[in-house]
Amino acid sequence: MQDPRVRLFCAFLLSVAAFVSIAGASLVFAWWLVFTSRWKNIRHYKVVGATILLFGIISAVITLTGSDGVSYFARMTVILLIGAWLYADTCPGDFLATGTSLFGTRIGFELGMIAGMAWEMAGGLFEDFHRIQIALVQKGRPWNIKSMLPAGRILIFDTLRRADDTAEILAIRGYRAGGTICTHFYVLPVEILAGLCATAVLVGAYLFR
Amino acid sequence: MVLQRPSWSLVASGVFASGIHLISGDVGSGKSTLALEMAGLQVPDWGIMTREGITSSMLSFQFPEFHVTGFSVAEECASWGLETEVVLQQAGIEVREEVPVLSLSRGELKRLHLACVLSRQYDLLLLDEPFSSLDCRGKEAVCRQLSARTEGITILFTHEQSIFPKVDHIWEISGGFLCDCGEMPGALASWQHAPPLIKRLVESGRVPDNITPEGILEAACRTRG
Repeated sequence: MQDPRVRLFCAFLLSVAAFVSIAGASLVFAWWLVFTSRWKNIRHYKVVGATILLFGIISAVITLTGSDGVSYFARMTVILLIGAWLYADTCPGDFLATGTSLFGTRIGFELGMIAGMAWEMAGGLFEDFHRIQIALVQKGRPWNIKSMLPAGRILIFDTLRRADDTAEILAIRGYRAGGTICTHFYVLPVEILAGLCATAVLVGAYLFR
Repeated sequence: MVLQRPSWSLVASGVFASGIHLISGDVGSGKSTLALEMAGLQVPDWGIMTREGITSSMLSFQFPEFHVTGFSVAEECASWGLETEVVLQQAGIEVREEVPVLSLSRGELKRLHLACVLSRQYDLLLLDEPFSSLDCRGKEAVCRQLSARTEGITILFTHEQSIFPKVDHIWEISGGFLCDCGEMPGALASWQHAPPLIKRLVESGRVPDNITPEGILEAACRTRG
């Protein structure tokens, strides 16, 4: 899906639909099967696998405490698949272009820029995570839960530090607020169909809950 | 072995025996990629690399952040299996142990990292731009420690032009090939990336015994007979 506006619109509707009910999650899964490249859209299998495992553990706890853990697991897994598709299809500048197009040159530009930076930082986190793994291997240290905790603290600290640096650079370059970006969007017929189906999925999720 | 990237390729062939080897080359000539291949962290596009008698190896990356696995200075030193006080003393920096290691300046972090690396013995030690981010004093301190290494294979990948440790063998990357300049001091005659001062000394017949600051000074002050 090349139009970022339709992509974001679909992702938003589908996430809400999946969260509303188990029927909604099933419809979203069907949408995912039809309109995406499915497993080819998953760039980081290990991360997705680890997240699904985490959902499984939480679901087990929910089930043991007497609630519907299966429903939670299904809904969250489908939302994760939609997130993985959105992440894989997003190109640099998409958020900025979409934000400015939808909400204008001030708030829209700001929101788009923040989302774009967050997306790029997410990409950087995977690289940093890989580097820490290599560093541990070189030090002859095992990669386990004990070593993952400081790794997580390092990543958070480093991300905040980079955010500070970026803010300083923007200030030094004279950025105050807002900006313009002239993007020409074009929508393919199949994308219009995907958007309509996503809307139908949301309606269905509310009707069958 | 052959390493290929979109903008360049490198053909590397050679035998690295015990001692300190210097691989010099321009920025972007493929030094870091060659270091990754030699460390076994990447596979060459063609060819093989054989390690004989290597039971432990370490690649020190140009950017010291790439080695950080502990949150605080103390945790980072512990991740290398070293005492914090000893490392800080060797690095010559004064910081609190509980400070986040990534809050150190790049130069401090580099010194801390090199102190950790050089405190341990490796059969194969690869140092990618070990002098980057260091001031002259820092470079001299690292050179003293490197020159004192008597065991294993130590390979320096650098485009440094001013301060060097005592080296045994010089290589250089030129025109997409890893060229063997030979053992010291004979290597200086064919070393194209040699600093201008060393080139002048060689041209005037005063070949330094080594490329340490002391070696260059001795050659420069040598009376021509």
